[in-house]
Amino acid sequence: MPFRKLLGWFKGFFGKKKIIRLGLYGPPNAGKTTLANKISIDWTGEPVGTVSEVPHETREVQKKERVIVKVGGRKIVMNLLDMPGISTKIDFEEFLQYGFSAEDAKQRAKEATKGVIEAIKWLENVDTALVIMDSTKDPYTQVNITILGNLEARNIPIIIVANKIDLPDSNAKWIEEAFPQHPIVRISGLTGSNIEDLYNAIAKHSK
Amino acid sequence: MKNPSINIELEFISSDILEEFKGEEKMQYILDKIKDNKILVMEESLSSTDEAKLIEATMRNISEKFSGIEVSTLREKQENGIRETIIKLLGGKTGGLTVIGPSKLIKQIKKEPKRISVLAEKKQSDSEKNSEE
Ligand SMILES: Nc1nc2c(ncn2[C@@H]2O[C@H](COP(=O)(O)OP(=O)(O)OP(=O)(O)O)[C@@H](O)[C@H]2O)c(=O)[nH]1
Ligand SMILES: [Mg+2]
Repeated sequence: MPFRKLLGWFKGFFGKKKIIRLGLYGPPNAGKTTLANKISIDWTGEPVGTVSEVPHETREVQKKERVIVKVGGRKIVMNLLDMPGISTKIDFEEFLQYGFSAEDAKQRAKEATKGVIEAIKWLENVDTALVIMDSTKDPYTQVNITILGNLEARNIPIIIVANKIDLPDSNAKWIEEAFPQHPIVRISGLTGSNIEDLYNAIAKHSK
Repeated sequence: MKNPSINIELEFISSDILEEFKGEEKMQYILDKIKDNKILVMEESLSSTDEAKLIEATMRNISEKFSGIEVSTLREKQENGIRETIIKLLGGKTGGLTVIGPSKLIKQIKKEPKRISVLAEKKQSDSEKNSEE
């Protein structure tokens, strides 16, 4: 028996379960925090962060530790890591349209740039990644490709979440065609539909 | 309404030039050109790590005047195919292409597996609108 396996068996034996650091990645507004909240409320009763239609709402990694998920007779212990959305551009003028003052908009932009950097740094510190995509949008973007490429390079298990399937113009097939090499679950983080499929996928693919 | 003229400068960069730079320097070289309102076409595809570094460097450069980039990379089909491996062994480039430009200038870089199309547009910022009046 290899040492690592033996160690894992010992830890399991003494009830010290491995904690999976589950990172939620994706572009801004894909629904990462909505989903993190759904998972966390389901199993702990508490939310993880604030949701907003304004992009870059999450500007610091939000953590929820020791979330115990029961799936198929198994218990999975996870640290949820809700990441800031990753983007290649941040224009403070975009925030003005949402009614922010110029000063607040500039401050939000500044914090957002730091958030993107933090999310990128965390890429090496997650055990499993959910890459959340808005299924009403073109999935073949450089941000999605960069996120997937970096996770692949580090051999981190990836589950693609085709989110917002409750919307009439949702097209999860688009995502499946763009990234056929990864498991994909279609859900709505907002309504919670198909969320069981996601828990099963996490149990199956996490390492 | 008068339509302000748009100057779009395209610059093609060979991978020989880029090879002279080390990690961070390369990204700053690229970003300095983009901040100068140039659209760069580079004779190489960026690796995933480089893409992440480029995004990081972009974030550090963002200001009220510079709002970031649009970027798209085309990779060779099989980076580790036999043909590519042999070319690499002989010191050659296996190709690929990267297009990067300022997001203020580029409305969209549309990416398909084998094609990149660039939609340029001059977006007026509020400050520019005011100075024109
Ligand atoms: N219809 C629908 N809307 C959703 C769903 N998930 C999220 N949204 C909406 O999408 C918007 C963005 O949601 P967030 O959860 O804040 O998105 P995020 O990915 O955390 O965004 P950032 O923190 O900015 O990176 C909000 O208006 C949500 O209500 C979904 O499954 N269906
Ligand atoms: Mg969020």
